[in-house]
Amino acid sequence: MAEAAFSSIPPEDGKLLGVQSQPGTAAEKFTNAFLKSSLPQLKGEEIESMMLRQAVILQYARPNRTRGKKTKAKGLNAKERRELKVFQLKPEHQKYELFLPLHELWKQYIIDLCNGLKPGSNPQTIQQKLLKADFHGAVLTVVRSKCPSYVGTTGILVQELKHVFKIITKEDRLKTIPKRNSVFSVEIGDFVTHIYGSKFELRSSERSAKKFKVRGTIDL
Amino acid sequence: MSPELEQCPRSLLVCEKGNFKNEKSRHESQALKHSFNCRISLLIPECGRLPVMLEKVLSNFSSYFHVQDFPVSTFLEEKWLDAVKKGGFYALSSKTRIDEDNVVAVLPSGQLILSLDKDTYEQLGLEGRPSQYSHRKTVRHIVTVDLKSLVLGTKKYQRVLLCLKERVPLKTDFLFTAAGGAVSLLDLLSKQLYEECRPALHCRTLQDLLCPSLIPSDLKGESGSVTPTQFLEWLGAVSLSISCDNQATSFLSTYACPEPQSSVSQALLCTVTGLISPQDVCKLLTEIRRYLDEPKLTSWVSLTVHGCADSPVSWGSAEHGFHKGGENFYNFVCFQNQDYWLHMATGAKDACPP
Repeated sequence: MAEAAFSSIPPEDGKLLGVQSQPGTAAEKFTNAFLKSSLPQLKGEEIESMMLRQAVILQYARPNRTRGKKTKAKGLNAKERRELKVFQLKPEHQKYELFLPLHELWKQYIIDLCNGLKPGSNPQTIQQKLLKADFHGAVLTVVRSKCPSYVGTTGILVQELKHVFKIITKEDRLKTIPKRNSVFSVEIGDFVTHIYGSKFELRSSERSAKKFKVRGTIDL
Repeated sequence: MSPELEQCPRSLLVCEKGNFKNEKSRHESQALKHSFNCRISLLIPECGRLPVMLEKVLSNFSSYFHVQDFPVSTFLEEKWLDAVKKGGFYALSSKTRIDEDNVVAVLPSGQLILSLDKDTYEQLGLEGRPSQYSHRKTVRHIVTVDLKSLVLGTKKYQRVLLCLKERVPLKTDFLFTAAGGAVSLLDLLSKQLYEECRPALHCRTLQDLLCPSLIPSDLKGESGSVTPTQFLEWLGAVSLSISCDNQATSFLSTYACPEPQSSVSQALLCTVTGLISPQDVCKLLTEIRRYLDEPKLTSWVSLTVHGCADSPVSWGSAEHGFHKGGENFYNFVCFQNQDYWLHMATGAKDACPP
């Protein structure tokens, strides 16, 4: 189309219309002069500003709220954690002997926490301290359970999750035991503590802040 | 009707009739299935003294052994497992109540049945199923261990042994009786403190008794004879020596003997108490049949075998419980033409008799 508009008129049509197409430069000069004469008498910047497209906003104008920069939490969320498998023990790490030093450390920690476990110390005070203690590395034994096949499993506590204990037994097996409906026993020197799993369903970090009610007897 | 009577716990009564000479007669299999019998009572109308042959059979009943503080883990020892494979024996814990304590029983089929309360089951660590007769909350659990399939040294054997020895060392008084096989209980119990007991026999002659007349072919009591419930009620009244005269002056009982009735000048009531094996019951039944073959005045003989109220099983391995009564008994009525009636009755917490 553009070629049709800018091409020169063929001579027969020129004779018909009574015009003569002017060659190249003369046509250009004519075009420039014509445009200059038809423009209004204004300065160059004003012409430029008229040419600028200015949109007129008719309705409500909402100011663009600049959102503050979203501070991302340091660390990983659960999805990423699961992908990275940070809390999963690899099979070559699942050896009972590897966790014995942890158990020794834990024993020291408990003895320090209870100000030395003397045979004469009051069980009540020790109990209060143990409620807030951390049990990673303790040797747990299931003493009573509504499901009889859990009874008797013994091992070192590797991981304490919200509803579950992960224990590694002497046969190098990682067992996951739900806390609910079970009673666990922890041996510390001469003391034996029984933990009622149903009341212990908290993450170990949250347990230090929780107040436990005093109950007479607890039935599974 | 008073409200207490309306809320009676249910009881089941199964009646069947047959002939001893019939090959397909189930009398022996029914009697052998009922494992733990604690009392037998025999009623012979028109008889003054116990016949000689019957007395012989009754006094030849095998003795039963009472052992104190027998640990249950002993059943897993080698010689006991061999005994189970050879023929078996009956063992039942004594003085334990089925609805309160832990009850242990061993059947000749090799099953060790533990009926445990909640605490013991949670601490023991052996898999079991909850009792069939629990209402909302399961309080009772039944653990069955098949002693015949336990091989020494396997993991399963070790676990069972560990549980019974260390986790909860169950120990109760036991009653043992032989199952008629080649098992000698004296050998097995040689290391324990046992007491050999003989089943106790009591005989009583009743004078001028009113008996219902029974027609052998009419079990249900439709054509003029007594219904099974009426008959069993009368039988119970006789064994408890409740007067059936329907005297208006009697303060204790106005019970009347069911019609049609006849007066009998004398009747013999024999009771044997103790743990009696089913094999002995079958021998007694055979002797009663022989006794009835001889011509005599006695037209029928009734043999009632009561099961232990505290046994965990009634017939076979059907679970048994104690609600307001732990009755599970069966009653044979033998007639002169070798016909018999068999009534089997159970209480509330029981399965239907076979």
